[in-house]
Amino acid sequence: MNIEQTLQTAEKILAPWNKDTLRPESNRMDMVVQTDELRAATNALHDAHWGYLSAITGLDLGVESGQLEALYHFCSGPVVVSLRVRVPRENTYLPSIADILPPATFFERELSETLGFKIEGLDESDRLFIPDDWPSDVYPLRSDFAVEQAAPVSGSRIDEIPEQGMLTGNTFVIPIGPQHPALKEPGHFQFTVDGEIVTGAKMRLGYAHRGIEKAAESRSWYQNLYLFERVCGICSHTHAMAYCMGVEKLAQVEAPPRAHAIRELVAGLERIHSHLLWLGVAAHEAGFDTLFMYSWRDRETVMNLLEQVTGNRVNYSANVLGGVKCEVGPEQAAKIKEGLDYLETRIRHYLEVVTTDAMFLNRTRGIGTITAAEAEKFGLLGPTARASGLMRDIRIEAPYGAYVRYPVSLVTRTNGDLEARCEVRLEELLVSCFAIRAILDNMPEGPLTARMPRKIPAGETIARVEAPRGELLYFIKSNGGETPARIHVRTPSLCNWVSVLEKAVGRQLADVPMLIAGMDPCFSCNDRVVTVLRTDKKEAWSWKQLREYGIEYYRR
Amino acid sequence: MFKDILASLFKKNNTQLYPFEKNPTPERFRGNLYYDPSACTGCCLCVKDCPSKAIELVTLDRAAKRFVLKYHMDRCVYCGQCAINCKFKCMGMSNKDWEHAAVDKKEFVVYYGKEEDVKQFLEKLAAPDDAATDK
Repeated sequence: MNIEQTLQTAEKILAPWNKDTLRPESNRMDMVVQTDELRAATNALHDAHWGYLSAITGLDLGVESGQLEALYHFCSGPVVVSLRVRVPRENTYLPSIADILPPATFFERELSETLGFKIEGLDESDRLFIPDDWPSDVYPLRSDFAVEQAAPVSGSRIDEIPEQGMLTGNTFVIPIGPQHPALKEPGHFQFTVDGEIVTGAKMRLGYAHRGIEKAAESRSWYQNLYLFERVCGICSHTHAMAYCMGVEKLAQVEAPPRAHAIRELVAGLERIHSHLLWLGVAAHEAGFDTLFMYSWRDRETVMNLLEQVTGNRVNYSANVLGGVKCEVGPEQAAKIKEGLDYLETRIRHYLEVVTTDAMFLNRTRGIGTITAAEAEKFGLLGPTARASGLMRDIRIEAPYGAYVRYPVSLVTRTNGDLEARCEVRLEELLVSCFAIRAILDNMPEGPLTARMPRKIPAGETIARVEAPRGELLYFIKSNGGETPARIHVRTPSLCNWVSVLEKAVGRQLADVPMLIAGMDPCFSCNDRVVTVLRTDKKEAWSWKQLREYGIEYYRR
Repeated sequence: MFKDILASLFKKNNTQLYPFEKNPTPERFRGNLYYDPSACTGCCLCVKDCPSKAIELVTLDRAAKRFVLKYHMDRCVYCGQCAINCKFKCMGMSNKDWEHAAVDKKEFVVYYGKEEDVKQFLEKLAAPDDAATDK
């Protein structure tokens, strides 16, 4: 189906609720929907199996207009259909669609905390990424927000000791994190266990929240490039690439073909470094430290290549608005090829290890299995989704930049367990190596940058890029000035969390670290979530009671 | 895997005795900023786009090309946008100068420019009345 047909199908499905249709870009359609009809429209799209919910963007339309707007972005291949819902500032009620589409839980939380949407049925006393001592009724992304409003409030949850310890009988709550919860990034998990079996999972993120989206509103388009590059240290290039692509689209500037090729090349190298890093972490969690050491040793090869090509090991700053900074000449090409030769043999070796090593297979085979139907329901993205047989890869579904000229092939598995996720990631690297060689052998000639204006014309755009962890979505809005009006980032890890929490239930506690590592979470990317699943609200012990119990227990 | 492990047993130690032994940095490595005032026109494009406000350019006399560049090493994110912006190639990132360790934060503020210009600027800064007008 081509873009036009897909759009028409969506229009037909949504016709009963559609109040106004806008076509901002050739692959996008915006439809204005009434608040009380949002659920019906979502249901219709869901029932017709049209695409998946990719993100929800909240906008403040300004104090004068007196309205807030929520954009529900549904994606199907290259097509994006956004349902636009406007609510008055005095009554920001929005119906929840999380029961129809589970991934919406995270997005709705975000809307509620940053812009003050009142989502039906959402417990507002829980915080997701805003600190616990943040005052209530202060919303950082509102246009009338002033820094003075954000003074910390004392006497809130932060002083309370978290609920933990024994609940009833054999049921315990095991807190993991925020320090080092299986990974060296901050996140807090509470697993309710009955003996060794996990019966409930809960998490709190936001320990590394930096307010980047707010900060972007006060910086120029050029300065923001480096800000967004620092959303994530591992996939920094894809963030910068998505941002550049979006801004270039708004400015109607086309980066030269050579720049696109170099962008894909760096993205390929970045994918190798990201997946090898993940392999090491996963091996470490499985207790296979030899594999961890060796995969990280080999990762040095690609880190050195990145440093030679771009000038830095992380935060490469390879992009500028309108093109790239770094040239890839014959000298670099020779070095990259030499590095790839070594990496390819090693990746093949690791592929053999993860599929044959008995010890490792005990920790991966048949564990955390996600069926294709579940993956679809949870809205999974990236290698985690592809391991379950979902064909979700933006590089193939909606090729951008140089992926049209140097395509990559899709790697999928159908078993959906941790082993499949290992295989998908490693095999993907061989595909990336192949694509990098193709680029080096057929590099287009020409300049590296195109001229960019300082002021970006007013408009809205969506840039989607396949990051190592899955689809990355940037929503960029310009008012025609030197600074953006709103930039919304939806990172892939955010969509993948639900799989961990859902899959931990019923497994042994010892499998939890592997499950967390299995989706390759990136905390600094997605610090904005809290969710509760099947938590038993039974008789809870206070911290004091538990302490007394502990003292009594050890006295015996 | 076992072959790998056995082979590693007989390998030479990989650890380097830094700072006595150093790996050469790649040619494109972005270390400290350098600045050449003779080519500068004082257009301030570098200052404008710096994402971390790490550079300040003070014009003492534009016609005589007397500029002082105040560089805050500790704020710099080493992105190289200033060097890209400069049409006259008067700044760049050095791949030689990259070791940042100091006992005092003051050492991270560096002044670039002709010797007498920097001196004049610092004297001005020290005098409280003139300092206000400088900003």
